[in-house]
Amino acid sequence: MAFDIAFWLLAIVSVVAALAVVTLRNIFRAALSLVLCFITVAGLYVTLSADFLAAVQILVYVGAISILLILGIMLTRDVQLGSPTNKLRFPAFLAAIVFFGTVAWAVLNTTWGISPQGPLEPTTATLAGKLFGENGYILTVEIAAVLLLAAILGAIVLVREK
Amino acid sequence: MDLGLLAPEISLAATAVAVILLDLFVERKGALAIVSVIGLMVSAAFTIAMFGDPAQVSFNGTLAVDSFALFFKLLFLGIAALVILASVDYVSKFERFQGEYHALILLSALGMLLMATATELITIYVSLELASISLYILAGFLKDPKSTESSIKYLLLGATASAVLLYGMALVFGSTGTTQLGEITQQVQALGAQGVADNPALVLGIILLIAGFGFKIAAVPFQMWVPDVYEGAPTPIVAYLSVGSKAAGFAVILRVFSSAFGLPDWLSLDWGMVFAVLAAIGMTVGNVSALPQTNIKRMFGYSSIAQAGYLMVGLAAMGVASAGETIGQSTILFFLLSYSLANLGAFIAIIAITNKIDSDLIEDFSGLFKRSPLLTLGLTLCLISLIGMPPAAGFMAKFYIFGGAAQNGLLWLVIIAVLNSVVSAFYYLRVVKVMWLGEPASVEKVPSSGALRVALTITCLGVLFVGILPGFAMKAAELAAKMFGI
Amino acid sequence: MLADFGFVGLFIIVAIAFSALLIILPVVFRYLKIVPYNPNPIKNATFECGMETIGRTWVQFNFRYYFYALIFLALDVLAVFLYPWAVELRQLGTSGFLGALVFIIVIVVGYLYAWQKKVLEWK
Repeated sequence: MAFDIAFWLLAIVSVVAALAVVTLRNIFRAALSLVLCFITVAGLYVTLSADFLAAVQILVYVGAISILLILGIMLTRDVQLGSPTNKLRFPAFLAAIVFFGTVAWAVLNTTWGISPQGPLEPTTATLAGKLFGENGYILTVEIAAVLLLAAILGAIVLVREK
Repeated sequence: MDLGLLAPEISLAATAVAVILLDLFVERKGALAIVSVIGLMVSAAFTIAMFGDPAQVSFNGTLAVDSFALFFKLLFLGIAALVILASVDYVSKFERFQGEYHALILLSALGMLLMATATELITIYVSLELASISLYILAGFLKDPKSTESSIKYLLLGATASAVLLYGMALVFGSTGTTQLGEITQQVQALGAQGVADNPALVLGIILLIAGFGFKIAAVPFQMWVPDVYEGAPTPIVAYLSVGSKAAGFAVILRVFSSAFGLPDWLSLDWGMVFAVLAAIGMTVGNVSALPQTNIKRMFGYSSIAQAGYLMVGLAAMGVASAGETIGQSTILFFLLSYSLANLGAFIAIIAITNKIDSDLIEDFSGLFKRSPLLTLGLTLCLISLIGMPPAAGFMAKFYIFGGAAQNGLLWLVIIAVLNSVVSAFYYLRVVKVMWLGEPASVEKVPSSGALRVALTITCLGVLFVGILPGFAMKAAELAAKMFGI
Repeated sequence: MLADFGFVGLFIIVAIAFSALLIILPVVFRYLKIVPYNPNPIKNATFECGMETIGRTWVQFNFRYYFYALIFLALDVLAVFLYPWAVELRQLGTSGFLGALVFIIVIVVGYLYAWQKKVLEWK
């Protein structure tokens, strides 16, 4: 019961925060609502028994990405002009509704296979095996490292003066 | 774990790291291009050494080293080497960041290599991001307003496409419970026709996968970024984008759709028809929009949309063909090879010309034959190949791919494709006409460096070789397509 | 596990309630005439360390902050990957160690690059 309440509370707050991100004129406020959205998503991960993922969400998204985002806004000139109006707002809204309807219909009409096993309790150790273990995704982890290297390189190239 | 199977990727990654580190200490930046090309050649040597070995699955099923992967790896390594050769003149004008330029090209090539060999959705996604992020940065390398605009557009639309792709992967994973392509196909076959019909999330997942990958190959309706990005980005990067990124996209689509969703036949028929419709629209939109273009880079942007359409004719044939037949796959591989050679060659010539005349407008190419007969000849040959006229490679490529589609009952699509080829001749030949018959603006010669000439010679000889003696390349493509799906 | 997170939830609820209370209380007190209400311009002025605000409060940051934020982000992701590895250090053995080592080396190349390119210097 408490579980259901927590889920619906988090779900509603996250959807409202996400809507605020796209509708608010002041982009600083939009960024802050995005942070709120990140936090509630972390909460949703907790309700799905993904504790490590929830911690990562707080650490990386709420901690680092939001700082980067707000810095990006603070670097911008004429930021108080806000997000400009767009004449495609209405068509975009319609497209979003149609997409939402399709996905919702598809997800609701599917008989999902549900694992008979209960959720793992602490997930960290299992994740470690999946990431670095013999039968895991070690290659994918290394590709992610190279991806980070490319991102560091790229950010420095793009931001430094010519 | 078998690191030996990853030798091409590891040596390429080591080269990229070496270039980054060397850049910090070496004063003469020209050496970095040489190191990069040598690294690519070492990687290619490892790849060639692995040809003929039996296909192997490694790293707990995250990658398969089969001749399909090796074919694409060689293609990507060749493309990256030619792009680096073609950039030598271009990059020497940069005051800073020459090392980063080469390192990012290598990292992007690494991502493409991994895309061709990955057989697991998460690995495919991470490799695709590695290839794309390097390209987003390279597109904005000039830092002028146009280049920045193209980079931002590419990044935003690319990120959206990635999100769509991830959504598709999540839905497929949710319906099948696995991210391994081989296991997905078992699950899908176990579901049966009724099971898939009762499982709209899986169908939606497949559609979203088509959309996400469609962005990479510039398929209509996900082609909006192409002309703007092509116009603004540095010309060698445009060349890289138009062949490397597109070929990598096709490598992934071929792998995913023929090993995960290739069976049963009724399912492949469904997505085959989706690709057929996308192909018809793509060719027509690309060719018709290319007609009025005055900027050669924009024109090539639309032309690459049209070429993606021709390539998707092969995907449609692959879907429609019965299981076990590989005519769609092998003709796509052949087409990609000839398209890469011709498009790269054309861009190399354009780089040399625009370096001198400092303009991307087609009218400024007027009378180039009198200023630089060899460059003009090379560009003409590549344009003829892109139209699909003999003796160039493009003719055989179109002949095979349309023939394969016609054999599988897609005659209506082939008729549209042939009509489109006729339309495309108008804008390609307009460039040829301006170059050969126009009056030159000045009599100054167009200089080109040794590296550029070597790159152009390789591509032009390649176009002629594949066009006149297609048997060898077709054998390789057939072999690569047959080994596929392990 | 979920019960533990229940405490986190409780903490958040208390925090929100407390903040809301601090905003609502003065309004209620004023309504109940417990506190007096005579505003004047000086009282309504923005109070910032006793100084009056001059010019716009919105300043454009130096773009160098961006490098630090970005490098921090890379470090953050590095930590996220290394944490589970550290938890299972003994069970993962040599191969896990080598995997983590390669991961760190690749990121360190990025740091080395940033350091040598004087991105970390403040001029």
